[in-house]
Amino acid sequence: MMNDHTVKAYDRDLETLGRRIAEMGGIAEKMLAEAMDALAAFDVTLAQRVVLTDTRLDALQREIEESAILTIAKRQPLAVDLRECIAAIRISGDLERVGDLAKNIAKRTVKIVGEARVPRAIIGLKSMHDVAALQLKDALDAYALRDTERAHAVWINDAELDALEDSVFRDLLTFMMEDPRNISFCTHLLFCSKNLERIGDHTTNIAETVIYLVTGEPMPTERPKTRAPGVTSENPPSAPH
Amino acid sequence: MTVMPVLNTDLPTKLSVRNLDFFYGDNQALKSITMGLRTNKVTAFIGPSGCGKSTLLRVLNRMYDLYPKQRAQGEVLLDGENILDPGVDVNLLRARVGMVFQKPTPFPMSIYDNIAFGIRLYEKLSKADLDERVEDALRGAALWEEVKDKLHMSGLGLSGGQQQRLCIARSVAVQPEVILFDEPCSALDPISTAKVEELIDELSERYTIAIVTHNMQQAVRVSDYTAFMYLGELIEFGETDSVFTTPREKRTQDYITGRFG
Repeated sequence: MMNDHTVKAYDRDLETLGRRIAEMGGIAEKMLAEAMDALAAFDVTLAQRVVLTDTRLDALQREIEESAILTIAKRQPLAVDLRECIAAIRISGDLERVGDLAKNIAKRTVKIVGEARVPRAIIGLKSMHDVAALQLKDALDAYALRDTERAHAVWINDAELDALEDSVFRDLLTFMMEDPRNISFCTHLLFCSKNLERIGDHTTNIAETVIYLVTGEPMPTERPKTRAPGVTSENPPSAPH
Repeated sequence: MTVMPVLNTDLPTKLSVRNLDFFYGDNQALKSITMGLRTNKVTAFIGPSGCGKSTLLRVLNRMYDLYPKQRAQGEVLLDGENILDPGVDVNLLRARVGMVFQKPTPFPMSIYDNIAFGIRLYEKLSKADLDERVEDALRGAALWEEVKDKLHMSGLGLSGGQQQRLCIARSVAVQPEVILFDEPCSALDPISTAKVEELIDELSERYTIAIVTHNMQQAVRVSDYTAFMYLGELIEFGETDSVFTTPREKRTQDYITGRFG
């Protein structure tokens, strides 16, 4: 258990950083959930609300950064305190990107509302969303609890999201090949699946930062990858003859 | 309990402390200290008031000899020879191991004589040679340009920062091997502090340096190794970068992050 700083304002500065990250995390989680709901229900109003929420997220990120920088200047933090400030800057950056990616998913909803729909195509995306949302929640919990085991699990589980993205890619290609009228809709969903995979990457960044925060050690650079050999989003098939 | 440093033992050690105990009368102020000053490196000593860091410094050139009821036991090896042995010439020792104190202590004499005094004690030089040694010492303390035209002015007429650099020049003049700094910048303004820190950086190329400081950021800036002491014990010792970013001991982390007391 950490002792308190002799100067109480120092504790308050660091607590405020943690609280703002939690607030940012909550907003990002909500944006992700609502973006997916809007997509699945073709709900343009909900989608537009998600887009507007991103402004609050951006403002919070700037506040957190300024706060951390001021704490560094004022307190000249060392060891774990310095890592707290650095972690706040990094995690707020990752959460801001999560918000942007959720916003992009919401924007796609507005775009596809007029297209011919392929309901089967949404199913795979929903699975991806559920994994990404859980990863985000676990990463934020790991930060709040300073829990390195939970953070390590998030880091490992990103492989599941990568594998799901590959299978969604194959499914979407199949739908597009079945019927050219599906192409527009499925292409939009392809972008959404990429956005979800990127959200997963940001949650592993948050997990890595939590481990650095607690131990002072960086994560190893190579995560175990479980992409299937053969057709993947990084290795697409050649055009059909 | 002493933490044995986990260091590359191929690097030469100028001054080696082994199982050092120190007593003020019946009060034990240092408990079984074992550590070393690496040659031509800067070692910082940090810790709360009363932890023994200044006491340890004063053992390294036997300053405690000047006071009754103070005694050291154990070994302090300078190039392999124990300086605590009764047969050691302590005046010669204090030329080899110089000390700069928190409060600048210029002698009440001219700038020139402040420097020449120590040299004259040990060596008989011609005026030309002595002039050259004085100039070298003042250059070595980054003070020459500021005082070269007023060498016969009293040392007491200099500013605080200049007086401190005069004391450093005085130590350098007798060609030491180790220089001990006891909170050298505590009484100085920020600009003088920066000049002394720059000087320590330059001096470490030729001398082995030990510095006691209350200023954590100064310890990070100037030193290669850091020793954290508490209640007479050495709690942690290691490369400065590691001690201040990922200290091994909770007490070290509490102290450097301001959670002590």
